[in-house]
Amino acid sequence: MTDWNALSDAEFRAEIRGFFEAEYPEELRHLSHRPKFAEIEHWHVKLHAKGWVAPAWPTEYGGMGLEAAKLLIYYEEQQRYGVNRGRDMGIQMVGPLIIKFGTQEQKDYWLPRILSCENIWCQGYSEPGAGSDLANLRTSAVIDGDDFVINGQKIWTTMAHDATHIFMLVRTNQNTERKQQGISFILAEMDQPGVEVRTITTLAGETEFCEVFFDDARTPRANLVGEIDKGWTMAKALLSFERIFIGNPGLAQNALAQLETFAKGRGAFDDAVFRDRFATVALDVEDHAALYSRFADQLKRGETLGADVSMLKIWVTETYQRITELMIEVAGPDGGTLGPLQVGNIGVDVLSSFYKARPSTIYGGANEIQRNILSKAVLGL
Amino acid sequence: MTTEQDEDLRLLRDSVSKLLDRAGGVGRARRVRDDGAGWDATVWGELADAGVLGVATPEEAGGLGMGLPAAGVIAEEIGRVIAPEPVVPCVALGIGLLHRLCPDDPALENAIAGQAVLAVAWQERGPSGVSDAVDCEFSGGTLTGSKDWVMGLGDDAPVLVIAKSSDGLALVRVAADAKGLTKKAARQSDGSSLAALNFSATPAEVLAEGAAVSTALADAIADATALTAAELVGLSSASLTLTLEYIKTREQFDKPIGSFQVIQHRAVDMQLMLEIAEAGVRESLAAMENAPNPQARARQASRAKARAATAAQNITREAIQLHGAVGYTDEFDVGLLLNRALVLSAWLGDAAYHRRRWLEAREAEEAAQ
Ligand SMILES: Cc1cc2nc3c(=O)[nH]c(=O)nc-3n(C[C@H](O)[C@H](O)[C@H](O)COP(=O)(O)OP(=O)(O)OC[C@H]3O[C@@H](n4cnc5c(N)ncnc54)[C@H](O)[C@@H]3O)c2cc1C
Repeated sequence: MTDWNALSDAEFRAEIRGFFEAEYPEELRHLSHRPKFAEIEHWHVKLHAKGWVAPAWPTEYGGMGLEAAKLLIYYEEQQRYGVNRGRDMGIQMVGPLIIKFGTQEQKDYWLPRILSCENIWCQGYSEPGAGSDLANLRTSAVIDGDDFVINGQKIWTTMAHDATHIFMLVRTNQNTERKQQGISFILAEMDQPGVEVRTITTLAGETEFCEVFFDDARTPRANLVGEIDKGWTMAKALLSFERIFIGNPGLAQNALAQLETFAKGRGAFDDAVFRDRFATVALDVEDHAALYSRFADQLKRGETLGADVSMLKIWVTETYQRITELMIEVAGPDGGTLGPLQVGNIGVDVLSSFYKARPSTIYGGANEIQRNILSKAVLGL
Repeated sequence: MTTEQDEDLRLLRDSVSKLLDRAGGVGRARRVRDDGAGWDATVWGELADAGVLGVATPEEAGGLGMGLPAAGVIAEEIGRVIAPEPVVPCVALGIGLLHRLCPDDPALENAIAGQAVLAVAWQERGPSGVSDAVDCEFSGGTLTGSKDWVMGLGDDAPVLVIAKSSDGLALVRVAADAKGLTKKAARQSDGSSLAALNFSATPAEVLAEGAAVSTALADAIADATALTAAELVGLSSASLTLTLEYIKTREQFDKPIGSFQVIQHRAVDMQLMLEIAEAGVRESLAAMENAPNPQARARQASRAKARAATAAQNITREAIQLHGAVGYTDEFDVGLLLNRALVLSAWLGDAAYHRRRWLEAREAEEAAQ
């Protein structure tokens, strides 16, 4: 097996770029919507065969075992070429959870299926009454013989209508002192009589997220990850993975590349005001990447990330939004027009980028909550 | 100024807002969008019956002669419920051009009575946005060229077109089914469409020609710009109202989210942006009524649009953020308001464009002194 970390950064970049350019299907570049798995399956098969599905996982579990700098290059090349991230909840969230807290049986069973996308995952945390206040969740799982019986409702579950499995936080103990106690992490199958999925239409007219209703749904007790009633601590550990992932420069880099293409096509670089604003956001992206690699290196050295990792998410999502707002300004009189705007023979979907950027300051821990965390835990206020 | 005038405006606001609320409020915009009809002909008729369409047309031309501030009041109310009917384009551009250039044409009376929706095609597309020149040419009774960003064009309505002719600019009318006319609709974020038109030796009827056309066009555009700003003010206020209601009722951490100081300060900033915009836009509309010259009118119109577009974009985006995920759904009205703000901000020039125009107009006025 190749030791990717032994390559120089330049060699590694050339390797990744070469593969994407040669193998990534042209029609899937810079997709403006979140694809269902069937749409990208042919690409996933290639990526899987290459062993490149999970760049951050350790090699023993089928990942690439990339160190921080290499991981960054991987994401950069992915964004640059417009390679879709695929159905990666399993890779980004469930995998790390199982690797960290799962039993050997769970690792042996689930990890290969995550890599092959035989199982496609969605994340069942939020509920109507439990958004920022996640610990307020009410969906319950009660032990019944060898099973858990699940009742309740999840909401905002991204791509639940195209998932085979859900990893969820549920309440397994009603009689606790604090609401953070008595919560457990379980895995469940979506295709069963007690689970009903309804899609929710976004303001962009897309159906990306769903409501998921549980009415006596079942999952084997073997699908509990970690200790019962101790899910909150694990969820927090997972959130720190999520926060570094969600704080990665990719989305902003991709949007910046789109802005540059579009602005060139529209002659905006002749305008002194635009030049200044472009340079501002470009530097916002570049310097964020520098901070990102600092955190990523920390992870690589095996250190746990502190609360200060929240800075990444705040900065990158707000930069991302500013970039897409700037795209709308460049679009000028076409700023309200849906669908790709032609510049030369390329189409840039300005509104779709704008729409995608909006909720990034809401999901993955709203930016207000991230700022609360930083002010308390980092600044000691 | 006079309290009598204030009272007239208050009554006008009341009757228009009642009419629009009865018709269905903000939610109606979603229904109309999903029906794909563009707008509601019944509501259009009711607005016409209420005198809305002739509000700024002089009495001698068959209107109410209440001037721009009154039209502004109507535009704010239209914005508050994001009514999909193209009131501002029709009042300011279609009717505005006719009452200035050919008050005796029966089309004016028809339009004020709500029997026809008059769209005006005046902008043309250049390589990187709006072209400064008018290339669409009228000669020998036919029109050749293209136009873009036409708002409020009905399927079988005639269109008024600004073209160049041997005598400067001309205002001409083209029938909906005229030979050599092709239309392409660009779907907008709020479900409406902007039409791109192409004419190739298309028969057209001339309504006015000469220097008067450029003057009337400049005035009509300034009116449309400032009234769109008023519409954005109404829209922003609706967005803020919904957000205030929401943050008072949504609870997290066992408290209304509106009890968190950061949310309170953000709501106050939204309120400030709104009040500044409302004051600025209303003053602009009043100043335009008595503007000494076209430059001063254009400056006021740009001032209004620059401010209102900025406020509306900020307020509608912040509204989504303070709602959290529900704000990102189609089911909640704040999303409709955001989508409408995108369209109105872009139409007739966005904030950056109008800041530039404002400064240019100001410099031109100073140079002329
Ligand atoms: C596009 C999208 C995809 C998502 N995908 C998933 C998914 O796959 N799985 C899943 O489980 N969830 C998902 N979510 C849900 C997401 O995690 C929640 O939206 C998020 O946690 C915020 O909760 P909320 O929407 O209920 O907002 P609320 O918690 O109601 O917050 C509303 C507003 O109040 C602010 N606020 C709340 N509390 C405080 C406070 N103490 N101090 C200051 N401000 C505060 C928030 O920052 C926000 O601005 C998704 C959301 C979106 C928008």
